[in-house]
Amino acid sequence: MNIKERAEAWRSGVSKNITFIVTKDCQLACKYCYLVGKNINERMSFDTAKKAIDYILSREDEFKEESVVWDFIGGEPFLEIDLIDKVCDYIKMETYRLNHHWFNSYRFSFSTNGINYHEKKVQDFIKKNHDHLSIGITIDGTELKHDLNRVYKNSGKGSYKEVVKNIPLWIKQFPFAGTKVTISSADIPYIKESVLHLYSLGIKEVNINVVFEDVWKDGDDKLFENQLIELADAIIDGGYYKDYACSFYSEHIGKPMDIKLENQNWCGAGKMLSVDAAGNFYPCTRFAQYSLRSKKAVIIGNIHDGIDKNKLRPFLTLDRLTQSPQKCLDCEVASGCAWCQGENYDAAETPTIYQRATAICLMHKARVRANNYYWNKLFRKLELEGEREEYEKSKHDGPLKIC
Amino acid sequence: MLQYLVILLAEDSVSFCHYENRNTGNLLSINALKESLRISMLENLSVQYVFPEGELPAEYLAAIEVVENVKIMPSNSPYAEKANVLVFNGFFNLKSAKSGIPYVVRCGKDEFFTNYEKLIPLLEVTPHLSVVFKDLVKFNENDFAQYKTVLETFSKHVEELYVDGKSPQFNLLTDRMYLDKMRNCEAGVKTITLAPDGNFYICPAFYYNGEMPCGNPNDGLDIKNPQLYKLEYAPICRRCDAFHCRRCVWLNKLTTLEVNTPSHEQCVVSHIERNAAKSLLAAIRKHGEFMPQLPEIAEIDYLDPFDKIEK
Repeated sequence: MNIKERAEAWRSGVSKNITFIVTKDCQLACKYCYLVGKNINERMSFDTAKKAIDYILSREDEFKEESVVWDFIGGEPFLEIDLIDKVCDYIKMETYRLNHHWFNSYRFSFSTNGINYHEKKVQDFIKKNHDHLSIGITIDGTELKHDLNRVYKNSGKGSYKEVVKNIPLWIKQFPFAGTKVTISSADIPYIKESVLHLYSLGIKEVNINVVFEDVWKDGDDKLFENQLIELADAIIDGGYYKDYACSFYSEHIGKPMDIKLENQNWCGAGKMLSVDAAGNFYPCTRFAQYSLRSKKAVIIGNIHDGIDKNKLRPFLTLDRLTQSPQKCLDCEVASGCAWCQGENYDAAETPTIYQRATAICLMHKARVRANNYYWNKLFRKLELEGEREEYEKSKHDGPLKIC
Repeated sequence: MLQYLVILLAEDSVSFCHYENRNTGNLLSINALKESLRISMLENLSVQYVFPEGELPAEYLAAIEVVENVKIMPSNSPYAEKANVLVFNGFFNLKSAKSGIPYVVRCGKDEFFTNYEKLIPLLEVTPHLSVVFKDLVKFNENDFAQYKTVLETFSKHVEELYVDGKSPQFNLLTDRMYLDKMRNCEAGVKTITLAPDGNFYICPAFYYNGEMPCGNPNDGLDIKNPQLYKLEYAPICRRCDAFHCRRCVWLNKLTTLEVNTPSHEQCVVSHIERNAAKSLLAAIRKHGEFMPQLPEIAEIDYLDPFDKIEK
């Protein structure tokens, strides 16, 4: 049974996300990249990956989730396609040999810059594992917008041309694939045209979010709101809402939240597991040293000694109430306002995950206003055209959670 | 609200808790001492001096009496007769100590399991006996089982003393019996420490383990993320009824990297004590009415409240 046939099971169950940081190297040096410690030296060996897999698979009672996402990230993961292929084969063989409950209930997941997507080794890997693959190519929009940030590390040249030529192949192989777009201050004027450009390339799902870091300038929220309103007009007037999705717009955001009933943490750090080339375990990749600007890595164990469960306790008991400042608890439009536990930790006054960073506050409020506009306009149009009922039956709401 | 100021008079001031001190003899400067005492008067803080093993200069002995105070001293201090609390490092010199004041016995778990019977006579000598484990974080499953058995043994002796009309106080057994809400260490909330380097720290352990200071007598107190030291901001502890637990924020930081999150070991040890207190209270009440205003301690099916939190 492949992952598409198991879609219902995936939705109803909880999956474990296990990330291999296979390399800290990348062809690009994107200007908004949170990975401050990229380098060409830290490449994972097969032995390290094998020890991590052996540790995890031998503890079925501790890793009880119904399914697993084996995630490979970098740097650029496809720079290590030989290692990845060997690791994936080992996972498949071992889960079969052990009669593990994750055998055939797994996904291999990649976020790639798309530059070497067409290469033979990558394509061979895709053919071999296609039914269990989830691959996202990051393309930020128009050539201008994309090349603002996503530049080669050596030349500083934009990477759009090399990426966009691989998009048709990718969409052919994964018709329902989505892309992830990250918005920083300088990108705001290009949001509308970029999303429409991605739609024109055939990408039907655009997952987009503003960076959590404190990069925003005075007036950015108003510019952002205007862009989202213009984009809303284009999506609705152009009829894109029928077949395309943009995660900026969601019916679920912008509501007050109940302190007791809606007290869960946003982020999955701690429920995930990440391992690096040195064999260290992290609650999420964002807690590895190469992701952190100003704090020490949070290492929760290693492939030799295992996981120190005491170090997971703060992550697994973290809730919204305990980490949020009062202004967030009182906020009238709190729902959908996201946070990244790693950025919270990196930005906190003390080395704690219990201090929520609020740099996106004004941007979230701007998004909520534009979101209200989108749904008011769309629903009115549907009602006037007698299509509201049909839309409600068939609608697909954009993903609410973005990390 | 801050209520207590702990002043470490020297680098080798006796440890009365889980941390280790340092054996250099550097003294707190006399100026820092005097300035901190001035602040204690301005802020209505009760002062607790922690003495080193050796003698102090006469200038210090005079200065410390400017305010009402509590003196925490090592059992072999030359000033032990003036102590308000005596600290024993292990099980030596227990018999020769001054009676009528609280005792703190610092020991390792294995040392405790071997020597615990030596503590039983102390229950009639001291108004309050505290045992502090230097290696609490090293308790394992076997230790938990042994600890439970040892506390059961202690409990029988304590029960007999209560039946005889005495009221021995022992932190591992009786503290929980008298509580109906949390009473923890509260370092960083009610208590702050002045260290020999002239700076304020959350508690002595933060100083001895290289944490950043949180102010000084001249510039005032500046605790970052102060809310995290409070019970309401501790997701495990605020659900817990091991009311006597030290809830040591230093051990929390050491083991879980967060001051508001206890380790599995700290939770289980406190719950073994809690359950022993429950049994002791029930046993004493079989002999007649005893503190009827105190509620029964509830039956629970866990030793670590972390296990009861939905994740």
